[in-house]
Amino acid sequence: MRPPLRIVIVGGGTAGWMTAAAFSSVLKPEQREIHLIESSEIGIVGVGEATLPHIRFFNKRIGIDERELMAKTQATFKLGIEFVDWARLGDSYIHPFGAYGSRFSGLPFHQYWLRQQRRGDAAPIEDYSLAIVAARMGKFTLPSEDPSEVLSTFGYAFQFDASLYAAYLRVFSEARGVKRTDAKIVDVQLRGTDGWIESVKLDDGSLVTGDLFIDCSGFRGLLIEQALKTGYDEWTRWLPCDRAMAVPCENVGPLTPYTRATAREAGWQWRIPLQHRTGNGYVYSSQFISDDEAAARLLSRLDGKALADPRPLRFTAGRRRKTWNRNCVAIGLAGGFLEPLESTSIHLIQVAITTLLDYITGSNEFDPRIVEAYNRWIEMEYDRVRDFLILHYYATERNDTPIWNYCRTMDVPDSLRHKMELFRQRARVVTYKDGLFLEPSWLAVYFGQRVTPTAYDPLADALPPAELTSKLQAVRDQVHGAVAAMPRHEDFLAQYCPAQKPAMAGKS
Amino acid sequence: MNKPVSHVAVVGADSAAWIAACALRRAFRHRELAVTVVDVAEASKPRVRWTLPSQRGMHAMLGINESEFMAATGATYRLASEHRGWQGEGSRFMHAHGELGSELSGTPFYKYLLNEAIEGRAVNGDDFSVATLAARQGRFARPMGEGDALTASFTYGFHLEEAAYGEFLRQHAAKLGIKRAGGTVVDVELDGSGAVAALRLANGERLTADLYVDCSGPQAAVIGRLAANDRDDWTQWLPCDRMLSGVMPAHSSAPALTQTTATASGWLWRAPTAAHTHGGYVYCSRFLDDDGARRALSTALSGIADLRVDSLRAGRRRNPWVRNCIAIGGAAIELEPLVGAELHAAQLGISALIELFPAAAVSAVEAAEYNRITAEYGDGLRDFTLAHYRLGAARAGAFWDAVRAAPPPPRLAHKIDLFSANGRIHMYDFESFEETDWAWLFLGARLVPSALELQIRARVAQIRPEQVAPLREYVQRLVLSMPPHMEFVRRSGARSAQT
Repeated sequence: MRPPLRIVIVGGGTAGWMTAAAFSSVLKPEQREIHLIESSEIGIVGVGEATLPHIRFFNKRIGIDERELMAKTQATFKLGIEFVDWARLGDSYIHPFGAYGSRFSGLPFHQYWLRQQRRGDAAPIEDYSLAIVAARMGKFTLPSEDPSEVLSTFGYAFQFDASLYAAYLRVFSEARGVKRTDAKIVDVQLRGTDGWIESVKLDDGSLVTGDLFIDCSGFRGLLIEQALKTGYDEWTRWLPCDRAMAVPCENVGPLTPYTRATAREAGWQWRIPLQHRTGNGYVYSSQFISDDEAAARLLSRLDGKALADPRPLRFTAGRRRKTWNRNCVAIGLAGGFLEPLESTSIHLIQVAITTLLDYITGSNEFDPRIVEAYNRWIEMEYDRVRDFLILHYYATERNDTPIWNYCRTMDVPDSLRHKMELFRQRARVVTYKDGLFLEPSWLAVYFGQRVTPTAYDPLADALPPAELTSKLQAVRDQVHGAVAAMPRHEDFLAQYCPAQKPAMAGKS
Repeated sequence: MNKPVSHVAVVGADSAAWIAACALRRAFRHRELAVTVVDVAEASKPRVRWTLPSQRGMHAMLGINESEFMAATGATYRLASEHRGWQGEGSRFMHAHGELGSELSGTPFYKYLLNEAIEGRAVNGDDFSVATLAARQGRFARPMGEGDALTASFTYGFHLEEAAYGEFLRQHAAKLGIKRAGGTVVDVELDGSGAVAALRLANGERLTADLYVDCSGPQAAVIGRLAANDRDDWTQWLPCDRMLSGVMPAHSSAPALTQTTATASGWLWRAPTAAHTHGGYVYCSRFLDDDGARRALSTALSGIADLRVDSLRAGRRRNPWVRNCIAIGGAAIELEPLVGAELHAAQLGISALIELFPAAAVSAVEAAEYNRITAEYGDGLRDFTLAHYRLGAARAGAFWDAVRAAPPPPRLAHKIDLFSANGRIHMYDFESFEETDWAWLFLGARLVPSALELQIRARVAQIRPEQVAPLREYVQRLVLSMPPHMEFVRRSGARSAQT
């Protein structure tokens, strides 16, 4: 029997508590000893109030009750993200959590849709996606598990208050034996022989030793960078935004079951509706707008009354060269930063945690072969998300402000250029087995941002025209029929996971 | 050259060429794509092939009835390969086309076997696989049922004679309206852009098409003219460069099994068809000359006759699609037949070509994507082949030292490293062989990881002997209910003759 693995988590934001919750739940008490150190004096960034459908697997794996989580975090449902003004001012499209139609006769649905469009007889592609139609109409219900039903063709995620999420996970983790210390770390002690982290020193002078140190300290990377000097690969040349202003406001109107990202003069603005308030933020490039102006613009474009002063954030898009270095794993912002345009922050935390849990053997002598395999995996995940994000900036026709002129004409990675070219030539989406964003996601952004195919797959011509027409019509009818029968998002929330009104609105 | 593709010329006349022609014709029958097959001189065709289960899917796509195919070509079934001596004299292992046991405690069964091995208890995985046990006992039946049922836990490939299979496909192609040119290719005419303009045939004919599919094998009769030295050489890892083959009388109770035996300078094979027992020797000329190989093969397989020697050079073309020419099969990738993937490699090319069939004859982005995908698949096939040589205990001898001298390609090294450290099998985006295939190989080579993933170990620890023993018994009972393999082959042929 091995002694328990001593895991020290530095930082108690979303990343820290997600890690604590997962490790304490998945590993048996005799397999681990988990100690989380956070300082109540250091604010948390509270990254990512909007999530991706994968979070449901995470919840299931660690045993979180979805309804309870939603009620405790003022959560709403999310069927996708609406992108406004990205390719041209006035444009709007939804990146749905779900498919457009379904494959038939060996081809993806959109190939047939393109053929029908050429024949002048297709409705907009959005009409064939249940997630989009439901989102636009403010409807929601849980998906069906019967793959023959149209109600099985979508997934969902949550929009929640990240501070409440961390608080919820703290209770969850502490109930499973995670020890929490409220302290600041003043020093990191490295082992002389190999430079592994031996202990961290707290502001009360005490030392915390461990086998595995998980750096969830945020952008600064207290362990991974300040102590271990791991290095960082910057992606600012493709993702120029380096600051954000965040501010909550009062809810106005019905709660949309989707997040909105609106392209702005120097970046983009998010809008995330929760049960008790709406989260907003302006992600921008400091090259193109001043902090004061960004704050003023943000405040002028809120649905309702602002509930706090705008909070500034700074970051650099990129990834730590190794997110696992010696006996330290950086998770969350300490590992890398990709702007929350596609709600990937919490997802990348989740990937890091589950991959780490999948790879470790329980030994405290971390086999370098495992460390390297882990790093390759995480690198692949970040790189694939990066290409997808760049697409949003690059595939634009906007020339109204300098940031869009820069992005429209920038040099993008060859891998992305190839993907776009293949789509333009024959509407083919480059797919991969691992990593985020499958075919419907790429389709949504290509179509939504006017990357228009000049041809479709020649195999789509094999279907007789009458059959083509009836198949497409059937999908559309099924989608609209199913959505018509769905409850309104707010009504569904009220019976599924009503949250308590916060005691002091806006001070969450 | 921007007109739509209406005519494809397929160069070569082995089974891969006929499959390519039939598949293209069938896929684009709605636009009446014209396909012409043109032979090449001096094509070297293998005498026997053993194939992967993907051949079944290709037959379905081509509209080929399996019983008819079996009866017409004298093919037999193939449930597994048995590899002897690869990890030293006396070593042997099976690689079956099927599951290794079935999932217990939410964990693949091979993880249980790995844990037993780590704990020092030897458990033979073969006893838990319908396919291996049936192959050992000379039995066969087609899989039945769905999902997790043991009766659906395996699949199969074939042993087939190239000449008979090629002839069967030629007749099938004729039924599909595929034309055959009257002469062999003697020259390739290029246009100013470096694309193929026409093929000159021995009968004086000048054949033009929109796309040229080069299935001429290693001679790369067409694409070799467009790009001469565009090759990733694999001989540092796979140095075998000679292949001797011959035939013996048929064995009336042959199992649905391909056998390979490692020797001091390469490996021998034995593969049954209805009419013959085929045998051969793949070896490296640096360590063994042809006469020595003949003697060794005749000693190992007594009665082997009609010996023929071919050469091979492991590697793949970096850009199998150049301009309006697509190399498929041996013209694109050369690999010794150890894992039976030659026709499979051709199929990957054919499927990718159908998926990326260009609107116009010259289309750069489709070619780039085709080259990217087939390269990954090709490297995966190389790695799986190479793994047989490199996993587990090393055989002694100069040839085997040479085989293991170069560090393995990084993607294989990564896979072996992670498995050795925690028993996890990393799968890349495009791989023909699946996690279970790699598990057969790792377990077969007795590569025992130093530890198991913590969470898997926790689940494996919950597996009770009373869950394992019934699985073994059920597999045994199921196999005993299967008819002898050759009887199944004969009955299947008889059924086809009646219809």
